[in-house]
Amino acid sequence: MTPSLVHSAALHSRARAMIAAFERGDAMPEPFDALAIDLARFQAAQVPGYARLCAARGLRMPELARADEAPAVPADAFKLAPVFAFDAAAAAITFRTSGTTLGARGAHSMRDASTYDAAAVASGRAMLFAGMAAPVAVLVVGPSALEAPDSSLAHMCDLFARAFGPRGASDVHFVRRGSLAVPALRDRIAGLAGSPAVLLSTSFALVHLLEELAGAGLTLPEGSRVMLTGGTKGRSREVSADALRRDVAHTFGVSERAVIGEYGMTELSSQFWEATAVRADARPGVYVEPPWARVVPVDPESLRPVAEGDVGIARIEDLANVDSAWAVQTQDRVRRASGGFELLGRAPGAPARGCSLSLDEMLGQAP
Amino acid sequence: MIRGEADRQADVVRLLEASREVYARRAELAPDIVASSGLSPQGVLLGFESLERAASAADLRALVAAAGDAPCVHVILSANVFVAPLRALAVARAAASNVTVRPSRRDPWLARALVAAAADPALVLAERADVSAIARGEIHVYGRRETIAAVRSMARPGVRVRGHGPGIGIAVVTRAGNLASCAAELARDVAVFDQRGCLSPRAVAVEGGIDRARALAEALHAAFEALQALVPLGEVAPAERAQAASWRDAMAFAGGVWSSEHHAVGLAARGGLWAIPPPGRNVSVIPLDSLSGLRAELGPFASEVTAIGSDAPAQVGPFAPSHVRLSTLGEMQRPPLDGPVDRRKNE
Repeated sequence: MTPSLVHSAALHSRARAMIAAFERGDAMPEPFDALAIDLARFQAAQVPGYARLCAARGLRMPELARADEAPAVPADAFKLAPVFAFDAAAAAITFRTSGTTLGARGAHSMRDASTYDAAAVASGRAMLFAGMAAPVAVLVVGPSALEAPDSSLAHMCDLFARAFGPRGASDVHFVRRGSLAVPALRDRIAGLAGSPAVLLSTSFALVHLLEELAGAGLTLPEGSRVMLTGGTKGRSREVSADALRRDVAHTFGVSERAVIGEYGMTELSSQFWEATAVRADARPGVYVEPPWARVVPVDPESLRPVAEGDVGIARIEDLANVDSAWAVQTQDRVRRASGGFELLGRAPGAPARGCSLSLDEMLGQAP
Repeated sequence: MIRGEADRQADVVRLLEASREVYARRAELAPDIVASSGLSPQGVLLGFESLERAASAADLRALVAAAGDAPCVHVILSANVFVAPLRALAVARAAASNVTVRPSRRDPWLARALVAAAADPALVLAERADVSAIARGEIHVYGRRETIAAVRSMARPGVRVRGHGPGIGIAVVTRAGNLASCAAELARDVAVFDQRGCLSPRAVAVEGGIDRARALAEALHAAFEALQALVPLGEVAPAERAQAASWRDAMAFAGGVWSSEHHAVGLAARGGLWAIPPPGRNVSVIPLDSLSGLRAELGPFASEVTAIGSDAPAQVGPFAPSHVRLSTLGEMQRPPLDGPVDRRKNE
């Protein structure tokens, strides 16, 4: 084992110790910033792009005193350059962003996916499956990881099916070879015999499922929950988050508080969840971080944190991103609220002046 | 009455006379254009150098041939650089014996000045345009894609809509190109209209590998520093500044960035023309092993590229998409008046 792999393994252990402490309900074994600073130093030493970014900011790693002084890696960098701290041949898994008409797809490679898996299962248990008797039937309105091997979402859904579902369950995925398998989903739900289930899906897939159902119900047993993730902007039909939540609750016969939003990105190893299943005072639309991750709204130009309650773009610090980018700069607008953050959509593009192609047009996101 | 080619050319020539008259008044017009375009005063005067004021006989013939024939043309200027009305009117006037023009609401000054100077009864300003009321002829619309799509959806059956949408320019520096002079000429092409034109270069591919690309990036950084003193960068919207900040960090990660308060040059060490920066004075530099790799490097962007400037355009031509305008560096913003600047299919 090379010294860098030894170092990486030690950092993975520290991240997993935080996750394990969270699962046990214990205090964190070390301060957030302690691991964050060590990750920043490790990544600056092992990821040439991060070293260049730190140098461009005039940052000398030995002098790094606070984690927020270290730059976040722009999400676009995952499309442009390798963002991993190991030899490419050592990648155990690579997730890719969905890409756009003109844009390249971003790649997030992991040498050791066990920290990702531990983080996902711990957050899912705390926020989505909390209080449900195991095992729980997991229904995925999406492709399996076999069908979509580079989708981090498919990986997470399969992980949940294995971690929380019945051992060896096979009838789990209801997007097959790219098509919704509505009759199979209907049969599966009919066969639940009153046991609560958790249905996992993207907003986009649910919009299509609701269209196919054309108003017909597909009632889940009492106590069931539905996970929603991703938006519908740029899709054939855009639907507001509130309207979709209402329609989903109505169709599946669950309360709106049992429709639980998840916010994740291919470039991250951690996910953020609405807390409506676990806190009576939680508001829909407010996402909560696990203790090993934090979302900081920053000014879009200076990239400095904005005042409490102001809107900024999300700098996401994720200590489970051991071998890639411990901090990722997104263009998603967020605001701190009620112990979490509100997600307010993508940063708006510049008003059109002249006839040059705008970045929004390039990304297929023209308003 | 059927207009012959000579009549059509004569109408364009009269428009060019009007253009020369407007150019002579540029100092008087500049303050309004500064306010509407966001360019600096020096930037507006630099932009005026791209206003077409003459055309060769061959170019006039080509323009008339490209314009086609229509009973009337309704020109809608929505989003364009401030000198664009001249070419739009020339194409329309070559095509039709009756032309109405709706100037850009944001930037109406040049269209108004040209129409006034032309004093051509067949060329009429229409400050409002009801597309659905246009019963015949053609609509030439210059603007964003959604504007063009909206005009198409509102146009009556039988009314032909020619849409001229956004695009980008790129530069190609060949193995033989002198880096310092290429950088100086490229900086000028970038500075004209602060990269807001569809011919404006936003990326440069440098033949000869990463070290040569890095050297060009450094030379371009120096050229921008020098140019800023002569032609200051104009107004940059907050959203563009934010996009530029994000792009600079991505480029620093990807290969390197050389920047000041007014410009940035980013090096994409592993290629990737898709990392197109926002307008202003921002350029991606991409290493290219050989010109034969240009099409592959452009990838899906090929259809968005309207112009390529190079130290050796004839060498680049065989490897460029067939629709692009080729020019020497420093001349990217002054294409001959031989038809629309954008040669992509427009219907």
